[in-house]
Amino acid sequence: MRSEFLHRAQHAIQDEDLQRALDQNAERRGLGRDRAFASLPDMHGLRASAHAIRIDVIERLPEMLARFTQKLERNGWHVHHAATALEACEHILRIASDHQAERVVKSKSMVTEEIALNRALEEAGIEALETDLGEYIVQLRNEPPGHIITPAIHLLREEVAETFVEHLGIDFTTDVSALNQAARRTLRQAFLGADIGISGVNFGVADTGMICVVTNEGNGRMVTALPEVHIAVMGIERLVPSLTDLAVMLQLLPRAATGQVLTSYASWIRSPRRRNDLDGPAIRHLILVDNGRNALRHSRLQEALLCIRCGACLNACPVYREIGGHAYESVYPGPIGSVVSPGMLGLERYGHLARASTLCGACREVCPVDIDLPTLLLRTRDVYIQQVKQPMLFRFGMRAFHWISRSPARYLLALKTASLLTKLSPAADGWIKMLPGPLRAWTEYRDFPPFQRRPFRERFRRPVHRRDAKAPEPAAGPVPSTPLSMAAPRTGLMDRFGGSLAGVDGQFRTCREADLGVEIIQLLKDWAMGPMLIDPMVSARYPRMVDVLRAADIEILNPFVYLGADRSKALAGLDGAPVGVTLGLGALADSGTVIVGQDHENAAVSSLLPGMHIALVPSDKFYDSLANWIQACGEEVLAKYQSLTLITGPSRTADIEMTLTIGVHGPERLAVIAVKE
Amino acid sequence: MDIQLFIPCLIDSLFPETGEAVVEVLTHAGCKVHFQHGQTCCGQPAYNAGYWADARGMALHTLEVFAGSSDPIVIPSGSCTHMIRHGYPELFRDDPTVFPQARALAQRTFELSEFLLAHYSWTPMTGRDARRYAYHPSCHLLRGIGVTQEPLRLLETSGYENVVRLSPECCGFGGIFAVDHAVISNEMLQRRLDEIASAGVEAIVGCDVSCLMNIEGALRRGGSKIRCAHLAALLTGREAGLR
Repeated sequence: MRSEFLHRAQHAIQDEDLQRALDQNAERRGLGRDRAFASLPDMHGLRASAHAIRIDVIERLPEMLARFTQKLERNGWHVHHAATALEACEHILRIASDHQAERVVKSKSMVTEEIALNRALEEAGIEALETDLGEYIVQLRNEPPGHIITPAIHLLREEVAETFVEHLGIDFTTDVSALNQAARRTLRQAFLGADIGISGVNFGVADTGMICVVTNEGNGRMVTALPEVHIAVMGIERLVPSLTDLAVMLQLLPRAATGQVLTSYASWIRSPRRRNDLDGPAIRHLILVDNGRNALRHSRLQEALLCIRCGACLNACPVYREIGGHAYESVYPGPIGSVVSPGMLGLERYGHLARASTLCGACREVCPVDIDLPTLLLRTRDVYIQQVKQPMLFRFGMRAFHWISRSPARYLLALKTASLLTKLSPAADGWIKMLPGPLRAWTEYRDFPPFQRRPFRERFRRPVHRRDAKAPEPAAGPVPSTPLSMAAPRTGLMDRFGGSLAGVDGQFRTCREADLGVEIIQLLKDWAMGPMLIDPMVSARYPRMVDVLRAADIEILNPFVYLGADRSKALAGLDGAPVGVTLGLGALADSGTVIVGQDHENAAVSSLLPGMHIALVPSDKFYDSLANWIQACGEEVLAKYQSLTLITGPSRTADIEMTLTIGVHGPERLAVIAVKE
Repeated sequence: MDIQLFIPCLIDSLFPETGEAVVEVLTHAGCKVHFQHGQTCCGQPAYNAGYWADARGMALHTLEVFAGSSDPIVIPSGSCTHMIRHGYPELFRDDPTVFPQARALAQRTFELSEFLLAHYSWTPMTGRDARRYAYHPSCHLLRGIGVTQEPLRLLETSGYENVVRLSPECCGFGGIFAVDHAVISNEMLQRRLDEIASAGVEAIVGCDVSCLMNIEGALRRGGSKIRCAHLAALLTGREAGLR
């Protein structure tokens, strides 16, 4: 409600710590976003493509959903449709009860916040643990997230420390990295022991029947790869037609959200574990949530469904910057929230939010899919005024203003009256210190200029046209805009890859196949020695390397997770390995990304559980960009794998006071070796 | 060139001298200025407040007022230009009769500085004021209709070479927002004042009196000597200070 909103906003404005955090968020996210966008050769073109792709999806949604569902089912998924939040929760509870699940791990998902899944699970006696660091912190504190990307945005490190002292039993520390490690230790056990993993979905790809989940901390991979059952929850609108379209979105989403060229992990999940796969859940469910989306699609606010939930409009919004996320009292705050909350979740309850904006347009400017948010906010106001009764004074005032403006005579009379009234107001320097009625809010903070006795309309006299006036000159043309970005110079693919990888805190080496073993031993010099998790694909392809490592007394572990009798025991056994070695299917120069697959020769755990991940990429597998790689391999490449993961640097988080910490749930070190075979 | 002048209601009622300056500027450039006395308000206050039925009425009135000519319409305001250019077609998007008229009006409506630079080469009118100026890029001018450089180019040509460009942040005005959400509006406004204070300038120039009166109102309340001026007033050599 509006009064509660204003109350909370006021409260937020007086909270100095929150103000500092919000300022920092706005400034750093803004800077990061601008920089990341500038690294694109054609930002405006890409944004226009993204807009067109999403418009097409929303227009053809029923057809596309049908195709998506059919493909997913063919790939082995169980697909469930939920019309409401309640139905979605019921589906999930039923699945949990079918598997007698007691412990659930969750990766960050706004749609599960929207359907209040945690409460439903809790009421059913199921322990559901949030595993994104920020989300974990707010869950421990029993608070809603303050931002759709940065849930603990409103908390200081001291507050996080107190929470961890209370719940994790650690000693008080304000060292962000130590806090991160404490959460990592606790959650690692939860990942290994969970019965079900629940994730959100960033994009569903209709043509291939696949979902994409992006995370930085690696928790998204844990949740979707380790438990025996995976449930993905997705808003019905989050589709793209093809892999090529996904490549467009993946260039925009991380840049807009966190200023990253790509997130540390983008998992493309195609199927559950197939007969010979080394690991992965045996069962995957997808819950497609409507919960007001179809109604939104049939309304004038349809364009809001283009949203890919990057949070850029929150970071750019001057109102959000003053009041933070909690004031909105909705899962979706900020400009996009002020449209989708009333549009999807309830006009009466949330309609007033659309008025909490100056329509400055900063939101639209940063939106990676170019949603015309100011117009949507205006349409929301229109619908709200039509359907929800407004205070008399407001309604009457607007009617009167309209009546006056329809007639120049009345209009002039009104101006004259206003100027007379002005005379009655005390004003030392001519400006009014106090206005009456609701206008008083203006003069709480500022003076108001006096209405003039002779308005412009009475002063205008047709000026004498200068006789020497020039004939209209040809238009100067549009002002040349400064190019936003410069394309990266085209040097060698490997050099560029190395540069990009260094930018995301990864190491890059090149070596001949014969020297691979020695090269790896070199890399391990400043790292813990111990057993090494090596994918069968790697051992088969580079047997000499394995011999060299064995000769150096390194124990080699094979990630046959599900071939043993006891899965959690097997997982726990692998968990101790300090290093994992996998084959890279491709390396992308523009982002420093290495792509790994999951099938009968490649395990997800090898690049996920160890603290250090070494990816070996044959030197002919370097590509310019994701789009190039997809083009080179064709979409068929997907069918060979249960999942593909795009890995861009070691796992990371900035969830506590936006302090970057490398190494969360996934590896803290990543080395990519280009192998000349 | 014959042009139709549209004067925003705030200039008409509160700052008529700014309107006079606009006429001088346009005449100096070589325009033959016409003013329809039938014009009132463009309807943006009602549109922004969500009272679209009322806004449509006011838009119809404006369409009627300008139906008699096909001259370009020039407005000394980014915000009112944005309203006619984008708001009118939005208001009548489902009305097949009025929509074409709204779109036609939108296509011949221009903000003062963009119109001047698109059609004329500007020559200075007077000597420059010695004060140090900052330029406030108003949101609807900047992001609404995409005018980024024109006001600064006009100033440069007139001898104002070192105008500080304030960041493209909203001043917190937002029409009814300033009253309806006064506390939040004031926080945004204070941020703008902080930036002005650290810019070390003596006056602010902009293209929307709505934002400028918000800023000057707060400057006056705080006892500051810094004053605001519309671009047209500065070009004609008027002293800073909206009033």
